[in-house]
Amino acid sequence: MKSTYYSHVLRIVLGLVVFAAVGGIGKYLLTPKSFGTHGHYRADAIEEEASLEIRQWTNASCMTCHQHEALIHLKGLHRTISCEFCHSAYADHVKDGKNVAAMPVKKDQEIRVLCLRCHNRAIQARPKQVIKTVVMPEHLESQKVKITHICNQCHNVHAPLKYINRAKEIVGIQEKT
Amino acid sequence: MGSIQSEPNKDRRQFIKNVLKGTITGSLLLVIPAGADIEKIPEQIPGIRGKDWDMSKQNFAFIVDITVCIGCGSCVVADQREYRVPDGYYRTWVERYLKTFDDEIFVDSPDGGLEGYQTPRKDLGKPVRDTFFVPKLCNMCKDPSCVQVCPVGATFRSPDGFVLVDSKRCIGCAYCIQACPYSVRFLHPETRTAEKCTWCYHRVRKGLLPACVNVCPTGARKFGDLNDKNSEVYKILSGPGVLTVLKKDMGNYPSLYYKGLRREVI
Repeated sequence: MKSTYYSHVLRIVLGLVVFAAVGGIGKYLLTPKSFGTHGHYRADAIEEEASLEIRQWTNASCMTCHQHEALIHLKGLHRTISCEFCHSAYADHVKDGKNVAAMPVKKDQEIRVLCLRCHNRAIQARPKQVIKTVVMPEHLESQKVKITHICNQCHNVHAPLKYINRAKEIVGIQEKT
Repeated sequence: MGSIQSEPNKDRRQFIKNVLKGTITGSLLLVIPAGADIEKIPEQIPGIRGKDWDMSKQNFAFIVDITVCIGCGSCVVADQREYRVPDGYYRTWVERYLKTFDDEIFVDSPDGGLEGYQTPRKDLGKPVRDTFFVPKLCNMCKDPSCVQVCPVGATFRSPDGFVLVDSKRCIGCAYCIQACPYSVRFLHPETRTAEKCTWCYHRVRKGLLPACVNVCPTGARKFGDLNDKNSEVYKILSGPGVLTVLKKDMGNYPSLYYKGLRREVI
């Protein structure tokens, strides 16, 4: 004998339908747009990452204005050094095509700290074929200058051998480095 | 007497002139356009600008040549400036490995190499046989463990091969930080979301090299497209030389290769 009462079945079915509908709507509302386009993540995040501000530019961008420095810098042994490493980020200097702030220029003792960051032989692991290193203060003594001398009194910071090669030319020593 | 009296007047006039000149040029500097356009500065990675970015056709690789790294820390400085990374956190850093004569290994990285290595390490009390620097950054694994563990899909490997973090979706649970075999991730102290090196994705998309590669004075860091047979990276990877990845046995298949890597490096 079959029961004629279906209301309890109906209630369960209705409950399941409501549950699925609420779940479906909830999922639709809570899932961000573009989620799942490429995989289990928000595809828009890729474009957001790509639109980040570029703060460190290139040497070429600095040299569009600073041509005088460019002429010296590009001829010297320091041509591979980034302008922004010593002078701080481009974005702090130029904003929307306008000069907004002056760039810092290292002076006095800061220069020596900056130079020895790379040129200190006391730190091993600086191969000769990669970089010329010196030992301080032996270098000052061997060059017969005062112990208080700062690197940039003999070496142009943009082209370290600029003055030295010029001086050698004047006194007639033919030596190319 | 006349000449002495005229001197100050001349100076005053000169002074006013100088002040005027200064103000005019100063205000002009604020008005006249200065600087370059990012689209106009020369492309550093050829063949990116002027066409649509095809996600599926990119194959980038990063090579760190530890035989020429001098530990100057330019890369760390550039990275800090590019992303305004908070103090004490590093997206990339430089480690110093010291080896004594009885083959003991000491590793240090004061401030991640941000201030450079100014002094030799003195606390060892024994002579150092060998020193070398190892720059570290995101390995951009082809099978990244950080992506596997993220419960909300906030970190992912994009179809162009970059492992990125979606900071809007990240809940800061730090699972990825624990999962990363190379410890390149950190929790940003202000946003409380995970952050890591992205190989400067935003720069690459505009045809520029990553900030650290751009500033490296010795060319210890190389970045390029492996699809381009003329790229430096392709030439190095297809040529001879000691080229290996870190923690190969972890099975993450990094896209970051180390040239001249030594056995001691972990």
